Amino acid sequence: METGIRVLLLSAALALGGCASIHHLFHRHDDADAQASNDADAADSDAHPPRVIDPDVERRKIKVPQIHSQNVEFGIQYGALSVENFGTNPVYGFTAAYHITEDFFFQGAFGRSQAGRTSFETLSNINLLTPSERYFTYYDLSLGYNFLPGEIFLGRKTAMTSAFYVLAGIGSTDFAGDSKFTVNFGGGYRVLPTDWMAVHVGVEDHVFQSDLLGVDKLTNNLEVVIGASVFF
Amino acid sequence: MQRLPSARYLLLVLFLATPGLCGAREYLQVFVVTPYLELHTGPGRGYPVFNVVERDGSVDVLVRYTEWFKVRTERGVVGWVAEGDMLHTVLADGSPFTFNRGDRAGFTSHRFEMGMFAGSYGGATLISSYGSFSFNSQLAAEVSVGQFLGNVSNGVVADFGLTHVFLPDWRWSPFVMLGTGVVHTEPKATLVQPVNRTEQTAYVGGGMRYYLTRRFFLRAEYKTHVVFTKLNSNEVVDEWKLGFAFFF
Repeated sequence: METGIRVLLLSAALALGGCASIHHLFHRHDDADAQASNDADAADSDAHPPRVIDPDVERRKIKVPQIHSQNVEFGIQYGALSVENFGTNPVYGFTAAYHITEDFFFQGAFGRSQAGRTSFETLSNINLLTPSERYFTYYDLSLGYNFLPGEIFLGRKTAMTSAFYVLAGIGSTDFAGDSKFTVNFGGGYRVLPTDWMAVHVGVEDHVFQSDLLGVDKLTNNLEVVIGASVFF
Repeated sequence: MQRLPSARYLLLVLFLATPGLCGAREYLQVFVVTPYLELHTGPGRGYPVFNVVERDGSVDVLVRYTEWFKVRTERGVVGWVAEGDMLHTVLADGSPFTFNRGDRAGFTSHRFEMGMFAGSYGGATLISSYGSFSFNSQLAAEVSVGQFLGNVSNGVVADFGLTHVFLPDWRWSPFVMLGTGVVHTEPKATLVQPVNRTEQTAYVGGGMRYYLTRRFFLRAEYKTHVVFTKLNSNEVVDEWKLGFAFFF
């Protein structure tokens, strides 16, 4: 054991000595270089004054990190749609929104449902529409306004930002083999469990002119949805 | 008991992967030069101030949401700072922190625009939206898509072209447009079986934009399309529309 320690110490001493001698070797070399350059400087100083600061310093390029904006929101929603005269059925859809200011947002939505049967069809056992014509497909472009922003508190430590919103827009509804110009308006409530995710509850009315049942009239098609969305 | 180590490894892998997936990024650091910088609890004017950063302190800018910046202080406190307050901070080299704001200067010169319209396309009701990319304050490339719903036919129309804005620094600024596109027409069923058609178009038009406030402006435009039909003569369709748009 003791012999081992002695060997270790000896080899350490030798290694240090070696480094010192090598350093000395280089150092001497440096001294020789310094001496040579001093002689050269002395010769130059007769011609030009010595340069204290070298002005040719290349400017350091600073890369400023980009700030990530989280104004775009993509969402999915599911709920119930009451197609006037055709009963209430499940509806699913997608939304994409751009938040322009803290108050306003621009939203595009797409949704699809399948209408049921009218009471006339049930009683007479006559089908007014083919199965493919019963698909109620809509899209709309809306402008939304956030109001009553606030926070909801879960216990002592958790707070989530929230807001009510109203929106109105225009779009098109494909139903009963025809596309109709549609006006939509509604409102909802949005809670953000994190800064990048939101949960929505919304109610919307899709209004369009229809002469499907013999009389040309405005039909109101109410929709209630729950949705989730992610901010990018 | 046998399952526990694997669950622990899974957690470890998740923990190690998390910064790579969503966190390991460099944030911009800005310094406070006003007496203090207020931190709000949420990104809105009504959310209360719960913390301040004193002069010469710094914050990391984590993310931006509309007119609000989410920041983290040196002590690790995270809060939201209003755009107006962030204007009074400086970068590490002492230069002021500048960023794209929704104001009149932004209206004059910006990169992107989006908007929605309602109007008429050859007498049919038109719903349309557009997006544009500006090369400079006067010249932009635009794409617009729309759907028209009429008594005799429905269809979709898509255009691509260039827009030149005159007097971009004026609140009322006129513009002219030139481009090409396609129109897909689906005639409604009549006595004869109709045929859907897709035809190329060329258009020329003009319009006016009016700056409202913040990032919003109104836009009204008129286009005249020449539809290159397979018939003996081409068709001319007038389109006019009115809508709102925003820039970013």
